[in-house]
Amino acid sequence: MPTTFSSPGAGTYKLGEKLINDTPIHGVHEPLPNEGAREDLLLKKLGARGWGRMHHFRYYYQPRWGESRCKSLSPRATEAFFRFLESVKVPEHSSLPSLFLTDQGGLELRWEHHGKDIQVEFTGTGIEIYCSPDDQESTASHSQASELAKALSAA
Amino acid sequence: MNAVSPDENVVRAICDDKWDGERLSPSLFKGEHVSVGRLTIASLADHWEIFRRFVEDPPERNLKLVGEINVGVLQKLGREYNPVPVALTVIPTPLVGFPSHAEIPQYITRGLANRILRVLEIHEHE
Repeated sequence: MPTTFSSPGAGTYKLGEKLINDTPIHGVHEPLPNEGAREDLLLKKLGARGWGRMHHFRYYYQPRWGESRCKSLSPRATEAFFRFLESVKVPEHSSLPSLFLTDQGGLELRWEHHGKDIQVEFTGTGIEIYCSPDDQESTASHSQASELAKALSAA
Repeated sequence: MNAVSPDENVVRAICDDKWDGERLSPSLFKGEHVSVGRLTIASLADHWEIFRRFVEDPPERNLKLVGEINVGVLQKLGREYNPVPVALTVIPTPLVGFPSHAEIPQYITRGLANRILRVLEIHEHE
């Protein structure tokens, strides 16, 4: 005897409470036109670790992340960071620079070169530079990112 | 509320946005209103649990290490920091579910944050 099934319609099924998810969707990521080139740049200059961290910061750290309700990644800081990365020469005989996300939505690079601890922070409004061991702190504008990268590469 | 005594030790949560497995980010202490936990109120083991509840947001953000520093040492670093000495304090700011919470309200520069990192005692989870 043939089995018959009722046709689906409203009220045919209902999601159990455990399956209902009200988590807001933060949007669909659309790749930028130059995203492929940027991925290559990240891999070349910061390696797989830096590349993975950048993805992590971009896609998971939404506004008000962390205990201090921190800011998500600043687009202006990101632009300056990539301009810097295009021109910087990473040291060949030491480990690749580390990449961090700051609470203000900036990006921070840290590496060692000729015994100096070099730190560069890209904020939404500019660039902050720090070099040890003499605790030198300075600032630059976003438009100076390439110039700064060349200067630090030659230092 | 009275400032935390220089004899006390405080701890700071270190998540993967500030630690990449090789280096620490000085921005861990840079800025103002830096959150810490008081070890006189809750033990180090309890702070691992408390931090997990408070800092792992989004869930993909993971607590990796805990950094410990004595308040008196922190204040000495601030007083002796050139070119701009700063009188650092730690103020109790208890939260629901985080009674040991305290804050360093003063602005900490990158240079001073680097000095703090150099003396920070790092704890890994057992």
